[in-house]
Amino acid sequence: MPTATAAGLRCYELWDPMPDEVREGARRFATVQALNELVGVLPFAEWLDRAPSCTRRQMLMAKVQDEVGHGHVAARVAEDLGMPRERILVDYLEGRSKVHNIFHYSFASWEEFGPGLLLMNSAAIFQFRSLMKGVYLPYGRALRKIEREESFHYQHALDLTHEVLTHGDAEQRRRVQEGFETWLPRVLAYLGPPDTETLHANRMHQIGLKPDGNDELRQAWLSKIIPVFEKLGMHVDPALARQLPSGEWEFAMPDWAEVKKVIAGGGPASQRRLDWVRGALDRNTRYRRALRGVA
Amino acid sequence: MPHVPTDTDVYEVFAQTGSGSPLNHVGSLVAPRRDAAWHLAKETYGRRDDLFRLWVVRRTDLIVSSADDRGLLAAKTRMPHRQPGFPTTRRRDRSAAPDTAAPPQQQPDGAASGPCDDPRGATGPAPGRLWPALAEDLFVLGNRLGERIVDYIDLEESLAVGSIGQEALAHAETILTLHGFDASAADAHFFERPQEQWRVSRVIGRLGDWPSTVVCGLVIAAAVSVLAEERAGDEPAFAAIRDEQLVHLDHWRRWVRALAAWPETSEEFTRAFTEVTHCAGDLFGAGPQDALTDALHARLAALVGDSGVPGSRLPHLPVPRAAGTGGSVLADCLARGRLVRAHYAPQVFL
Repeated sequence: MPTATAAGLRCYELWDPMPDEVREGARRFATVQALNELVGVLPFAEWLDRAPSCTRRQMLMAKVQDEVGHGHVAARVAEDLGMPRERILVDYLEGRSKVHNIFHYSFASWEEFGPGLLLMNSAAIFQFRSLMKGVYLPYGRALRKIEREESFHYQHALDLTHEVLTHGDAEQRRRVQEGFETWLPRVLAYLGPPDTETLHANRMHQIGLKPDGNDELRQAWLSKIIPVFEKLGMHVDPALARQLPSGEWEFAMPDWAEVKKVIAGGGPASQRRLDWVRGALDRNTRYRRALRGVA
Repeated sequence: MPHVPTDTDVYEVFAQTGSGSPLNHVGSLVAPRRDAAWHLAKETYGRRDDLFRLWVVRRTDLIVSSADDRGLLAAKTRMPHRQPGFPTTRRRDRSAAPDTAAPPQQQPDGAASGPCDDPRGATGPAPGRLWPALAEDLFVLGNRLGERIVDYIDLEESLAVGSIGQEALAHAETILTLHGFDASAADAHFFERPQEQWRVSRVIGRLGDWPSTVVCGLVIAAAVSVLAEERAGDEPAFAAIRDEQLVHLDHWRRWVRALAAWPETSEEFTRAFTEVTHCAGDLFGAGPQDALTDALHARLAALVGDSGVPGSRLPHLPVPRAAGTGGSVLADCLARGRLVRAHYAPQVFL
């Protein structure tokens, strides 16, 4: 039987009777996350064969494996709610689902890779910590597993950035700075359009699947991550983000029309991502059938 | 190896006391009939706490680990690079080390060598010659498997190849360590030697589509486990390599059987199996052949034969390795591995 959460909302397990909108909402959240993990890992996986030492390669491979693992646990949650895993990638290829703005770009250099990862990972951690408080318990548990692995990814990204800042030459350090400035606005946009005024009317918030608002998460994330970059010795341009005496952060508002265009497939790597997924399915679907059919 | 228990009337009981707490194993019971098990569990284990969930599963439906699986399950020791504390510890060790600015160990042939073995030479005891060659194969294979993580054959398969790939890289590095290389010499060995100095097996050049990858995985896992067995008794690191490679071997065998039996893939699989096994005669072909290499090769042939599919063209005797093999697979692996490294001073990357 469902029980009550601290927020006064009922929580649900897989086989509990639950309102259709909770079931469908949870399925949608898990499906969206699975897709974003599976496509979102591609810009990282592209750097596997360039990772410059045995240990770096091991760590990056572990990270790429974890991200696909996150896609897997999210896909399992979605499958239990009636979304076949095969459809997750097919819906993406056929334009019925989209990935977040940040996954429509590639990393231009190894120097950009560290700060880009650090920004993305830390923002994702804030998203997941929030979503895990939702009323659909199997999704919450999946997110707890994911969150635990994200702490390794965060340390890994910090380490990559630190290594180049400590041992790289002036030009390489400059590219780290540029990478930070390139990715900060993208990740600010990833956290979603302003919703302080509208959150209370958001149905997913009302039914307990989206516990926190975008603005709230963005503020909490900036409070955490900007000092991390400052401690690394990077310059944070006040025009990009600055903290007001009240503690609140002011930041360069993303161009939402542009973000929308990117998400719709107008980003520099949008086609590349689609091509990869299409190629992978074309190459391999018969092998999956062989494994399932015989094993 | 994991096993399936046989006590048919025993049921294992899992209970959860609140929605936020985990489902815990609380014990077992004997039930005469399946439909009685849950109610008996409630009376046996649910008399005090309000339970949020109560799950009962027949013991024979479980696949359980055995005591000797503990080595394989020790994730923290086997794969330390996955721990959140790993990067920090590494940074601290690095800043504490006095010799970080020292030049890398350079050997005339581009490889650093250990105190007793001659890793690339034609002399010395056979395992000492064979290991560094297999380490090269493992390195390239590990990299290719890493790329397969996002090939989405199936999600569980992605995770499996991710682990097999990481283990292949770890084994490649461990093998060099056991032959006297330190971490930066191992990096130099894998990242900085020109292709002419590599002596990978001919199977490496065949790492292409999935069926070929499967057969390459199979023959390399078979060869490494056979050779590791030689030293498993006196060197725990070799015993660990053997145990992990036997798991890889099982993984590839399941694939081999599936691809061979499935009508849609059997033809291309047979072609790949024939071609790759034909190339696999040089896995123990580093240096001159002797009774030991012949014996190792015979054990390799037996393991490949045990895969349960016909059509192996593994030669009867070992074939010497040649320089310049590996084709575009090795060339791409080496070229991409240098792209970032080449722009940094030596010793920056660890």
